[in-house]
Amino acid sequence: MTSSTATAAGTTAAPKTKYRGVTARILRRAWGQTEMKVAASIFLALTLLTLFGPYIIDASATKMSVANKFLPPIFMEGGKLPHFLGTDQLGRDLLLRSLIGLRNAFAIGVVSVVGMFILGCAIGIYSGYRGGLTDVILMRLTDVQMSIPVVILAITVLGMSRPSPLTIIAVLILASWPVYARVARGVTLAERQKEYVRAAKILGASDLRIMVRHIAPSILPPIAFVAVLDVARMMIFEAIFGFIGIGIQPPTPTFGTIIASGTQYLLNAWWITIVPGVLLALALGSLNLMGGVLERARNHILQGGE
Amino acid sequence: MSKSLATHMSPASNSHAAMAPVMEVRGLSVVVNTAAGERNILTDIDLTVAPRSVLGIIGESGSGKTVLSRAMVNWLKPPLAITKGSVRYDGRDLLTLPAATMAGLRGREIAYIGANPTSALDPTVPVGHQILEKLRAVAPELTPQAARQRVIDTLDAVRIPSPKQRFDEYPFQFSGGMMQRAMIVDALVSNPKLLIADNITQPLDVTVAAQILRLLRDLQKDFDTSIVFVSSSLGIVSEIADDMIVLDRGHIVERQSVRGLLATPEHAYTKELIAKVPMIWASAETPPVPSSGDIVLDVRDVGKTYRVRDRKAIFAERQVRAVRGVSFTVRRGENFGIIGESGCGKSTLSRLLSCLEQPDAGQIQFEGRDIATLKGRDLLGLRRRFQLLLQDPYNAIAAHASIGRTIAEPLLIHGLGSRREIEHKVKDVMAEVGLAPALYNQLPIGLSAGQRQRVNIARALVLEPELLILDETLSSLDQVEQAKLLDLFETLQVKRGITYVYISHDLAMVRRVCARIAVMYLGRIVELADNDTMYWRSAHPYTRALLSAVPTVEAKPYRTATYLLEGEPPDPIDIPPGCSFRTRCPFAFDRCATDDPSQTIYADGNASACHLPLNSLPAPELAH
Amino acid sequence: MAFAIEFFLRRISQGVVIVILVAFVIFTLLRIVPGDPIRIILGPMASAAALEEKATELGLRDPIYVQFGRFMGQVTTGDFGRSFIRGAQGGSAGGSQDAAGYNPESRASVSGLIANALPYSLQLAALGIAFAFLVAIPIGLGAGLRAGKWPDRLGLYVSSLFVSLPNIWVGVVLIFLLSAKTGWLPAIGYQGFAYTIIPAMVLAIELSPVMIRAISVSVAANLGEVYFDVGLVRGLSRRTMVAKHVLRNAAVPLLNLFGAQMIGMLLGGLFVVEYIFSYPGIGMLTINAVFQRDFPIIQAVAILASAALVAINMLVDFASTTIDRRLKF
Repeated sequence: MTSSTATAAGTTAAPKTKYRGVTARILRRAWGQTEMKVAASIFLALTLLTLFGPYIIDASATKMSVANKFLPPIFMEGGKLPHFLGTDQLGRDLLLRSLIGLRNAFAIGVVSVVGMFILGCAIGIYSGYRGGLTDVILMRLTDVQMSIPVVILAITVLGMSRPSPLTIIAVLILASWPVYARVARGVTLAERQKEYVRAAKILGASDLRIMVRHIAPSILPPIAFVAVLDVARMMIFEAIFGFIGIGIQPPTPTFGTIIASGTQYLLNAWWITIVPGVLLALALGSLNLMGGVLERARNHILQGGE
Repeated sequence: MSKSLATHMSPASNSHAAMAPVMEVRGLSVVVNTAAGERNILTDIDLTVAPRSVLGIIGESGSGKTVLSRAMVNWLKPPLAITKGSVRYDGRDLLTLPAATMAGLRGREIAYIGANPTSALDPTVPVGHQILEKLRAVAPELTPQAARQRVIDTLDAVRIPSPKQRFDEYPFQFSGGMMQRAMIVDALVSNPKLLIADNITQPLDVTVAAQILRLLRDLQKDFDTSIVFVSSSLGIVSEIADDMIVLDRGHIVERQSVRGLLATPEHAYTKELIAKVPMIWASAETPPVPSSGDIVLDVRDVGKTYRVRDRKAIFAERQVRAVRGVSFTVRRGENFGIIGESGCGKSTLSRLLSCLEQPDAGQIQFEGRDIATLKGRDLLGLRRRFQLLLQDPYNAIAAHASIGRTIAEPLLIHGLGSRREIEHKVKDVMAEVGLAPALYNQLPIGLSAGQRQRVNIARALVLEPELLILDETLSSLDQVEQAKLLDLFETLQVKRGITYVYISHDLAMVRRVCARIAVMYLGRIVELADNDTMYWRSAHPYTRALLSAVPTVEAKPYRTATYLLEGEPPDPIDIPPGCSFRTRCPFAFDRCATDDPSQTIYADGNASACHLPLNSLPAPELAH
Repeated sequence: MAFAIEFFLRRISQGVVIVILVAFVIFTLLRIVPGDPIRIILGPMASAAALEEKATELGLRDPIYVQFGRFMGQVTTGDFGRSFIRGAQGGSAGGSQDAAGYNPESRASVSGLIANALPYSLQLAALGIAFAFLVAIPIGLGAGLRAGKWPDRLGLYVSSLFVSLPNIWVGVVLIFLLSAKTGWLPAIGYQGFAYTIIPAMVLAIELSPVMIRAISVSVAANLGEVYFDVGLVRGLSRRTMVAKHVLRNAAVPLLNLFGAQMIGMLLGGLFVVEYIFSYPGIGMLTINAVFQRDFPIIQAVAILASAALVAINMLVDFASTTIDRRLKF
């Protein structure tokens, strides 16, 4: 508020309040929501369980045991320790199998999202900043890529080669980078019009410098918040690949294979399919809720809220 | 409060006394609820709107005038809250009316127009249809045909050309001035008793604002509407209002008739306000004189055309001729001004001058070298000596870098000096422009506009440029801050011999600092003259129209009524043949329609592009 | 009018280029992955000499671009070739029986196979979208119109929940609950319309969270626009502003979402859901083709899928520029 007497803060006084950057404000706003705290707690609990569970629980995820097959979870009649969530048709411990599946899925999700984020945003910023023919070609390329559905691409590539965590990650990155390229390009187009970019040009900054030092730091953090949601999405894809039989190959447990193997025993031992799914949904739910709250906090802050 | 207040309020001296007031505000107080508690925005506001009168409310930004105008239609949203008082209209207190009844009054009996015409309507529906929708909502008894006719008639009444066609055009196809006219139509189409106009001329160019003022004055008589006219420009309010209220930080400090207020202001704040309106002609300062140094910048016949896709034909493009044959020279140590209204091509020219884009025609020479041919290292070298400062102090600085880092950026780009030398240089230049050393490690968030602009200036100065182009650099700052920075520029000029080119729409500022001035219209320089000639004996009707429309509170050599322009500048896509200004020129004659006037250079080195002989324009009504 | 003609001329020509590129990528990909097509056609028992002879005869030893050119030539006449494996009379030929006398005519035509499967997939997709709308429109609108209030929370919870349920798992759970346990609805295979319901529910659960988010975000953003506020002061009711202006403006980003994201998701979802439920649509056809390395089916489906995506995107963009005239094309 300017008025006749209160002129601009003066030339010697530093601003009184401590101001934070946009990222810090978004995080602070998000952390203020109850949902965020609940989701983060669930996520933390699952992480701890995944990290330490295999050392604490006295059972095996891969060793078969005919005597212990089709054990129900301990909250049901007939369940027994240490098989908290029961065992599968081969007597393997479902909790441990789920935890390992969760760990693998999460690792694949995080690595592939980081990969698609870097690749997509780099191409998007370049395309948006360059404009003109470069932009047209790159964006048509994303059209091409986006018009091949992820699952078709995945089953074609993975179904015909030997699936491994690396090829799965590669397929996920290949299939999803255009989304990030589109978003980054859109923001860059708007950002390029801003005066600080023009100012940097006038100062003599090279295009690469403007893209890397000026545009990227201001547009990437808000996009990164939404990437949390994609980690969950990629974990679902990993499960789908396992289910179809083109994911990580047995004997390594994955959610997809666990769920698929249980379908035959649905009527007698429904928990083989259903219970691990609940664990996965819980993990995904906590990630998605955090992502959702972050996204809303971002929108709130970017629209001028506090 | 004051003597004049008493006389104004007493029935005997008020010609409107016989009729009941349209609106009475009594003891109105508004607070804003923040995390830190309540803060007063308006305190004990009393005012009366007389029938068929224009009540002016003047206040600077932050005085609470927008809140007041919204409170008068009971349209405040949290965190704003009315704590006490009443707004009486037609025997009822609007503040206690049920929401539905109040909604029934808004837009019907009490209309409101805001400062942001371009985003006031749904961007996806034609303007006319939206006005029709409103009219049908407030007057359901009209038949669709009658309502449509009434909208078109009212569009015609506010002098929107070809209203039938405009009825079906979209908001983005309207210029700011046209859109504001449409909003006036929207407000008046339901024949309201009271119109609240909140800062409606603020986004408009001076010549367009002058048209809107005259229009509103005429319509007020025709429609028999009372108007509350809120503005931050004393010059503008005094053109239209009968009585005036001065608002200072939420308090009414003075109320008088316009004449009385300007002649004998009583409150200290009013006097201060009047003193702050810049003087163009009555100023005691002598304007700077042209320099005789060598030529630093030589712009020769520069042109720039953009292509846009044409929606009405297949694979067709239309040419937007943004800059057409512009030539001028700037000498070392001189302040050169380029003025013009929106769309005149000055921002394109600024992009060309800063080498962000290449001209399609002509040359720009800096110290004898064509800047378009420079590449790589040479271009980088040019950028060091030739800097441009931008208008928007908020977007010109990235939010994520510290202030020290921002100012150091050009040195890093140009690879000038070690880390320690750079820090040293940055701190020196920060001191020079008046930024506290403590800001070095801080983020720019929370800096005032003035401080941000200083960061901007420091960033340019750290390269020690010889030529600085200031593209509307000061226009977002208040008068006080502007004056401080102008002083800073002057000091720097004396110390470092910098040459300045000011690109601006602010005629008062240019009057104060520039020795020679070019006036642009539709991509072309229509007049180029030294400061005194330009302001006192201008040779071009457009320059005179611009000067006549400046909202000031002093006597002008050019009378507004003589030079009032019709319509708006033509689209740079369809530039009319002949003189491009003739469609709005009050003095156009038949030759103007066919011949495009070339620049005539007069004996004193000044030039103008007009067919009229030098002394055939009306004599200035004020001698130097 | 001129605008529409130019728009479609531009976009159709661009679209054709995109589809050809996609076709080329898939075509090449299928020929560089391990597995010789001729081995698949003739089966493991054929002799090496017979393989080579037949491969040369069928043009499988020509350079890829020649094969591709020939293939695209056929495609323009609506012929996507014949399946390596499936017999013309239905059922799989297995690829091993006629090592010596392979006759392409004995195999089912790809276009015929697709034409048979397509109606099932369309029916499933339509019902899935309808279910998704049923859930997403009320919840999304509520969340957008009452930002910060309970409907907004509900939108967040429902979308976070649904997006966290892997479709494979939801499919199995629904089969268990609605079919195996209770017998309310049939689930595996297809013998009538009822077989579409559970798969469509799975699709809807996958699609609706994206819709809920998008609807609530764009409606809320429009309520924050200046024109909305001004409209109320101009004397229009909130109901009018929402019904006539907010929804109209919110439709633009929603349309784009449907083009760019939804259709891709829908296609992907169809594949997985059809596989889970052994539903005889395009997805089932394709997944089986992948496992049997039946290349002609895979490439035909990929080309048609991308053509459909390109066409839908074009229509969506045309609708957006018609609603909002400021948009470039």
